[in-house]
Amino acid sequence: MLEINSLSKSFDKGKSFALKDVSFHLNEGDVCALVGESGSGKTTLVRLIAGLESPDAGTIKINGRIVSSLKTFVPPEKRKVGLVFQEYALFPHMTLFKNVLYGISREKNKKARAQEVLELVGLGGMEDRYPHQLSGGQQQRVALARALAPNPSLLILDEPFSNLDAILRAQLRNEIFEIVKNTGVTAVFVTHDTQDALAVADEILILQDGELIQKDEAANLYTKPNSIYVASLFGNTIQLSQELQSAFNCPLNPACSHAIRNENFAINEECEHVTYAQVIKRTFLGNDTQLLLKLDSGQKLAVLTKERNVADRIRIGFNSKDVLEFKY
Amino acid sequence: MKQAGSNNIFSYKYRLKRLRRDSNYWAILTLVLLAFIALPVISIGVKLFAGPGETWGHIVDNLLFDYLGNSLFLILACGTLVLLLGVSSAWLVARFEFPLRKQMEWLLILPLAIPGYIVAYAYAGIFDYGGSFQLLLESIGLEFIRIDMMNKYGLAFVLGISLFPYVYVSSRAFFMNQANSLLEASEMLGVGQVKTFFRLMLPMARPAIVAGLILVLMEVLNDYGAAKYYGVNTFTTGIFRSWFALEEPETAVYLSALLIVIVFTLILLEKFQRRNVQFNSNRSNSKSIDRIKPGRQKRSLIFLVVLIPVFLGFILPVGQLIYWATLTFDKVFNSSFLALSLQSFWIAFLTAFMTVVMAVTLIYFSKWSRMSFIKNVAKLGVLGYAIPGAVIAIGIMIPMISLDKWLISIFDKVLNLDIGLIITGSLVALIYAYVVRFLAVAYNPIESTSLKVSKTIPDSSRILGVGNIRTFFRIEFPLIRTGIASAFILVFIDVLKELPLTLILKPFHVNTLAVKAYEYASDEMVMEAAIPSLFIIITVMLPVIFLNRMLIK
Repeated sequence: MLEINSLSKSFDKGKSFALKDVSFHLNEGDVCALVGESGSGKTTLVRLIAGLESPDAGTIKINGRIVSSLKTFVPPEKRKVGLVFQEYALFPHMTLFKNVLYGISREKNKKARAQEVLELVGLGGMEDRYPHQLSGGQQQRVALARALAPNPSLLILDEPFSNLDAILRAQLRNEIFEIVKNTGVTAVFVTHDTQDALAVADEILILQDGELIQKDEAANLYTKPNSIYVASLFGNTIQLSQELQSAFNCPLNPACSHAIRNENFAINEECEHVTYAQVIKRTFLGNDTQLLLKLDSGQKLAVLTKERNVADRIRIGFNSKDVLEFKY
Repeated sequence: MKQAGSNNIFSYKYRLKRLRRDSNYWAILTLVLLAFIALPVISIGVKLFAGPGETWGHIVDNLLFDYLGNSLFLILACGTLVLLLGVSSAWLVARFEFPLRKQMEWLLILPLAIPGYIVAYAYAGIFDYGGSFQLLLESIGLEFIRIDMMNKYGLAFVLGISLFPYVYVSSRAFFMNQANSLLEASEMLGVGQVKTFFRLMLPMARPAIVAGLILVLMEVLNDYGAAKYYGVNTFTTGIFRSWFALEEPETAVYLSALLIVIVFTLILLEKFQRRNVQFNSNRSNSKSIDRIKPGRQKRSLIFLVVLIPVFLGFILPVGQLIYWATLTFDKVFNSSFLALSLQSFWIAFLTAFMTVVMAVTLIYFSKWSRMSFIKNVAKLGVLGYAIPGAVIAIGIMIPMISLDKWLISIFDKVLNLDIGLIITGSLVALIYAYVVRFLAVAYNPIESTSLKVSKTIPDSSRILGVGNIRTFFRIEFPLIRTGIASAFILVFIDVLKELPLTLILKPFHVNTLAVKAYEYASDEMVMEAAIPSLFIIITVMLPVIFLNRMLIK
């Protein structure tokens, strides 16, 4: 459905790359999340797909049609892509109804369709309001309704929840993705929040410094990250250095690097690899307590635990199956 | 391997392919518009190769030193005067509470409503034999001391007093919007008012002040009417002389080229002084400044200090004009004068419309082009404002005359018709020149309002399937209306006041208020010039007040 082939974009004539040699494809109906820190190239990728920028190299195909290559450039108005911006970008001088009507003004049943999508996002009855009369969450829904109205073949949501507060966010996220999944549209959801990505996406793409470093299903990404960077995006991770390996008496393949998730450390439990340690500092963090440990072998190690009352001297360990192995 | 691949896509082969892909109509149209705007300067540049005229040697030997010396003197003297008046009044108005402060705030802008040459006429009248000054002195029993205005000192005074509001407006904007938190910090540290001003505010405000100063200097170099009336030889009067009196276009072209060099040197100096300064538009600074309330005596003193520039730049010359107007009303104010006023407004209206259209197309076409270099060069179009009107006029005359000659020969050969000069001396040439000169006046307010519209709003429209032009009319135009309106008004005002360019290019049967005032004054009928002058002032004043309201908002 969406095919991207070695896409590159530089804003300074090749000195640095906002996007470098990115390739992937999505199938009809997929909901995929594009995850990366700010500056990782997420927004550039989105703008290239939508046709708001032209790439320096590579091709983009939507529904089998080339929309961007070295020879062709299909302008955004002819791509049938829907895009919901981070700041909603509603037309401030138009009512909700006019906003939604905007993209379908040449269709026959435009009024019925506009009404339909407004009902779909739960804003029926507010047609005559102006954007500034709405809350952030409501504006977000209008933006979604407006993007869905013309039945786009691809829907992109660019950081749609980052302007909302934490409580509203989780609720709206689930509601909106229920709507998206019900319409069956292929969707790309851009976020820097891995929790959001894990919650809604079938598939997750990780971007780092303009390069696509992993693309996989959510569960796989969590259990089999291909780099310590990806592993650390999905939770606190501790790198297992040579010294730590010997401290836990757990020699691993020296050609690879290794890490373990913090939650896989067990305190005072039976494990394959254990060592003893002295607690030298406790920091209360609400849900967790951070313990700064001094292992008997001399290394220091900070771990998080749910346990409130840990003795000063503990046994700590982990199992081999939880060790993450990376090729580089 | 990857690195090599990435470098490869910036090889010329790839660049050329991308250039072909990304060059759309908008990019080409932007370049066409730019060429159209740059034509006057280009034609002066080309004409330079034809060599100087016969009198060039004479001018270099006898007059060039005079032109250069006078222009430099005016730059220095006017510069100093506008800095003293503009910065001090801006600081006092921004920092202190005193009687009628609010009124003073906009009265200080009003001198801009009077074109420099009209202030010059008024002052010449005030200090002439039998003028208002003499009558005043005699009425209080003092002996008449004549102050001779008709020299370069008088000219510097007159131009300075009518142009200082440029510096006042730009520095006041800084003092009012940017300065608050700095002032609070300075107060906390226990630094006194005087020291705060000289050590902190003045250096901080420098970019804003110099930006205003540069505008003043452009106007000084552009002036023709005042310098001519006071008999001071400047570059502009030199260009007029060689064009009209000596009938030597080549010499006018050489002088124009020199003047362009001077102007661009000033612009480069301004850029240089700004090189290390970053503007921060920190929002927390935008709350208005807390004014100091000084004691009664000090309050009155501040009021008087602020009143001086208003009095000299507005009240006194306008008073003189009104006095003259009462004397000449019956003679000047008749139906042909009304017709002339209407013609003048109509030309200004038409020009404002064309200029706004030009500015909008330049801004949006370059936005719609997908090439970054087009977006960068589009800004060059505004440089016309820096080029003195007389120079633009010469630069337009040259290609227009060639075009006319070509048309004449075509019509003569093909149809055996003698059509005469159609374009030269037509409204087309005049309005073309106005558009080139005043493009920046329209470009800047429109661009700044268009930057306030988030890029994602037009982007959304296009993604929803609506093309560039329809997006502009349905989404952007309604959102930038205020910018377009103020651009229109500003150009209208400037055209109404414009003199040198109009004098050279106006069609024979067409007249404007500014030209009429100039003609009266040069025909030794300076009193009769008062009514057209007042007409200009009143028409200009209303929007100046209106725009000041917008600035304060």
